[in-house]
Amino acid sequence: MNLLKKALSVLRFMRQYLVANLQAAMEYRTAFAMQVVSMAANDCLWLFFWWTFFRQFPLVHGWQATDIVVIWAISACGFGIGMGVFGNAPRLATLIMNGGLDAYLGMPRATLLHVCISATDPTAWGDVLFAVGAFSLLLHPGVSEFGLFVLLACMVALIFASFVVIFGSLAFFMGNTDGLTNQLLGSLITFSTYPMNIFSGAVRLLLFTIIPAGFISFVPLQLLKQFTWPLLGAMLGFTALIVALALGFFTLGLRRYESGNLLGMQG
Amino acid sequence: MDTSIERRSVIKRARHNLRWSWRKYNAVLRVSIASNLAYVYEVLFRSLFLIVLMFVFGQLWKTTYTARGESLLGGFSMNDMIWYLAAAETIATSMPQLTRRIDEDVRSGRLAYLLGRPYNYVLYNFAQYLGERLVRFFINGVVAAAMALLLVGPPHFSLAGVLAWPLVTLVALCIDFAAYFGIGLLAFWTEDTNSFTIIYSRLALVLGGVLVPLEVFPQPLRGIAQALPFSAILYGPARTLVHFDVGRFGGLLLQQGITLAIGWLIVMAIYRVAIRRVNINGG
Repeated sequence: MNLLKKALSVLRFMRQYLVANLQAAMEYRTAFAMQVVSMAANDCLWLFFWWTFFRQFPLVHGWQATDIVVIWAISACGFGIGMGVFGNAPRLATLIMNGGLDAYLGMPRATLLHVCISATDPTAWGDVLFAVGAFSLLLHPGVSEFGLFVLLACMVALIFASFVVIFGSLAFFMGNTDGLTNQLLGSLITFSTYPMNIFSGAVRLLLFTIIPAGFISFVPLQLLKQFTWPLLGAMLGFTALIVALALGFFTLGLRRYESGNLLGMQG
Repeated sequence: MDTSIERRSVIKRARHNLRWSWRKYNAVLRVSIASNLAYVYEVLFRSLFLIVLMFVFGQLWKTTYTARGESLLGGFSMNDMIWYLAAAETIATSMPQLTRRIDEDVRSGRLAYLLGRPYNYVLYNFAQYLGERLVRFFINGVVAAAMALLLVGPPHFSLAGVLAWPLVTLVALCIDFAAYFGIGLLAFWTEDTNSFTIIYSRLALVLGGVLVPLEVFPQPLRGIAQALPFSAILYGPARTLVHFDVGRFGGLLLQQGITLAIGWLIVMAIYRVAIRRVNINGG
């Protein structure tokens, strides 16, 4: 009961931050709308290109033309929710290097969560718009399929956010890892938006461990095509593991954090 | 007699101005190259993404060629396809953040100070852009070539292709400058230029044939992509290197010349209108 109360309190906290971040982004209403629309258009353009490509050159091993829609929709939706809600996570390495965590350490809420949710990436909402549109309009899912899609997208969002937190937290130990985090995030997105059928051996192992693209597109694709409880369990298990790893890395690194005596204000 | 002396004097002055302008912008170009070479490891590190992209495409094409059971797709062998990708990606990934720089100059008001300096703002930015882009281009080229060598072995380029490639690539970089500089100047009128950059760059990548040669596109997409100016930036130069053809080379040069001329005219028109909106207050 106590745990449930705490979880609800965290969710309320996240919701309030999300609303505040969106209100801040909407201050420049036209710019916000343009960013959202341009990102959705960008995703549509890529999807159209790959859909055309895979129709012309279909892969074997059970690949279907609609699979590319699922892969793009789930990756974009997960990324969009991840960067929309935890929009400050990619800046973690810079904050650590500049002593920017000072503003959060004195706050009563959990530091990592507070850092991650204190900003939103406006373009990320364009990814969500595209993903929901593409999934609904091109695949005509039922209510249960759509519910599963949303659940999987939330897990993918946590994987994306945890991934950037893990590599951002390396800044506690290795100096500025901002460039590394961005490069690896770019690689993760790239690997996630291509069929897993084209990879094999050690690369496939890598894509289910260090660069978890398999859990971002391949596993959700399998679950949406043919749902099985063990696979959903694996997806949930991996999500819990990567969140725990991110939390562990950050907590461990925070002990080494040195304040920059930076005077800042957190609104 | 007097007219002849005046004309000679005018020509002499024009030559003198041209020589000084050349020296000035050449100096900016050299400084830009030197300052970007100072961060060569950062540029090298950023090419990690290019390695991933080349690897993914290597795998994708390998699977596609195997699944089709054909040795040629759109006239391209597996070797040609990977070297085409390396050439096109080298151009695409070497683009610096020009639009953001111009956008910041406009938004921060720095442009008002820069305009008072003894150089042309457009040419100064071009020289700076070219220096940065050449460094990135060279490093990305080395990385992409190394990856292509690893994936499919040495290329089968013709000597004519290798000789023609630098020229068409340089013109392509100039077209890119005109496009991104023009988008940056839109900061005078819009709250956000990033959206335009995203749309333009994606159109250039997808319809410009960065990932796949236009021959492989199905119709009518192929026809549309070939007619658009994006193909002069990525597809044209990459194809010249991999599959050189004199007729196509001439056509590409013409297309690039027209695109650059129109692009440059549009940029100068936007620039002239934009400059009238700059207000300088003393203080």
